[in-house]
Amino acid sequence: MFAITVDIVLNSLVLGGIFVIMGVGLNIIYGLNRVMNLAHGALYALGAYFGFSVVAAGGNYFVALVTAPIIVGILGLVIERVLITPMRKRSMIYTLILTYGLMFVIDGLIKFFWGVETRFIHLPEFMQGSVSLGSASYPVFRLVILIGIAAVVAALMLLLGRTRLGINMRAAAEIPEMVSACGVNVRGVQISGFVLGCMMAGTAGVLAGPLFTVFPIMGHDMLISSFVVVVIGGLGSLRGAVIAALMIGFVQTLAEFFITEMAMVIVYMLMALILVIKPLGILGEGKFE
Amino acid sequence: MQRLNGGRAMWITTAVMVAVLAVLPFILPNRFYIRLVNEIMIYGLLAMSLDVLLGYTGLLSFMHNAYLGLGAYATGLFMIHIWPESIWVAMLVGIAFTVAVALPVGWVQVRTGGLAFALLTLAFGMMFYTVAWKWYDLTGGDDGLMGLPQPDITLFGLKLASSGNSTAIYLFTLAILLICFLFTWRVIHSPLGAVLEAIRENEERASFVGINVRRYKLIGWMMACGLAGAAGSVYILYRGYTGPGVMGAFEGAGVLMMVLLGGMGTLWGPFIGAALFIVLKDQLSSWTQDWEIFIGAIVILLVLFLPKGVAGLPALFQRASGGED
Repeated sequence: MFAITVDIVLNSLVLGGIFVIMGVGLNIIYGLNRVMNLAHGALYALGAYFGFSVVAAGGNYFVALVTAPIIVGILGLVIERVLITPMRKRSMIYTLILTYGLMFVIDGLIKFFWGVETRFIHLPEFMQGSVSLGSASYPVFRLVILIGIAAVVAALMLLLGRTRLGINMRAAAEIPEMVSACGVNVRGVQISGFVLGCMMAGTAGVLAGPLFTVFPIMGHDMLISSFVVVVIGGLGSLRGAVIAALMIGFVQTLAEFFITEMAMVIVYMLMALILVIKPLGILGEGKFE
Repeated sequence: MQRLNGGRAMWITTAVMVAVLAVLPFILPNRFYIRLVNEIMIYGLLAMSLDVLLGYTGLLSFMHNAYLGLGAYATGLFMIHIWPESIWVAMLVGIAFTVAVALPVGWVQVRTGGLAFALLTLAFGMMFYTVAWKWYDLTGGDDGLMGLPQPDITLFGLKLASSGNSTAIYLFTLAILLICFLFTWRVIHSPLGAVLEAIRENEERASFVGINVRRYKLIGWMMACGLAGAAGSVYILYRGYTGPGVMGAFEGAGVLMMVLLGGMGTLWGPFIGAALFIVLKDQLSSWTQDWEIFIGAIVILLVLFLPKGVAGLPALFQRASGGED
């Protein structure tokens, strides 16, 4: 009993944590650029694949943890400049469709470069095996990933709360004109936001790689889950995303434990239920914090 | 977007097109082409239904094909388990089932804003796909629904043809298509259609004028899903089989692309889009395994440069040749 509880709790935190990173990234991109990035899942997959490649090329997992997001971030910058900026004046529907197309392009490119077989990220020695927690035992690598997630979230909070860029981002998500009037380069902040969001997707991917293995359509389910998180938490609300992410992480872990096959269906029904009660999400189209 | 006026020209063109389509199965060299055009018609209907949602009401759905799937499965299951002889009743059951599912889903979806709506269609679509895929006992899972009976197509007790006959199914499809098209045309050019377009143009203003935006969005949604369900019923009759694949995310993007290619906000545009897409997909997949990349790239290019699709080409040319804007 205790072992099961430990499993469920820790697994929920890990899954929820991944959702937090994805959901917050999605919200940052949306809040600053009013773009719902449908390619987010594909970027997540890309992060995992880059992580795999870095490790396969001889680096260790922690090196990959740093480099993969950076590569995805650079890609994000290219995407922003080439595809997103030209669409700024157009209706959101078109940008949505555009990122949808982008998702397929990235998916296809992944299959092209890495093939369709599942890949495994080779973990360092100390991360293999389990550790005992009381009468339960839990895999070490999951604990390490949990710590990694915590580190990323902490870094994010620092960035958004303490740095000038972070503060500018939060302001620009609410009233860009005012920020611009204060002499800040708002476009720069917005672009940074996009890049940051992409980097977060990449980070989530590298962290999730050892958890779920690396396969071409790994981004699809994660994308849907990220949407569920963002919609439930309220579009544009970071805090809402965190709450929703942890909640969904828990529900999904629990559901998977009992019903496996239809776990996602339970999640969707929960989402529908929440939306009936609170159509704009838990925290509504809330503040960007 | 302006409202399209009927005009004599359009009626004549439509009549000609229908006549051509009706004669086609007797001219085409072999079954392959008959079935190809048949498929284009079915997907054209699906694309048109998505256009009702997207082009006319302004709501985006990423997985509209889920409702085609629902219609297909419902019709199929009805015919297999309850009444193997029926075609018309089975179709009605298929449509009714699709609409019945669309009601609660739509009700939840229209309560949220436009963006969340789109995301929810993706989530719900994936849910239906998962159910169809995992519920092996009912739907046959990955193997799909098999053993579909092939009853005779009868009208008022008079046997018209066997449903195993490609030409018969083709003409059946054409008939259903025509009915749906006329129905949609009638609705679009009615006050209801005007309300939908008003919602598309400016939701806030529409509500100021006294339109119950949520309700009409729901109506538009149900209509679009009903038409998709009709397409689904015809689909399973045409193919004799259906699997969860038809309800997947990629196919959903395909339908969206058809509408985009052909032109949103026109009734005939999606058909052209469907034809282009199916032909394109056929060609691309025989060249390369990575045709996904091309489809995605084409979507991106379309959005960037040709958002109005084929329907927007005349305007494009006009501007390019210095015509008036």
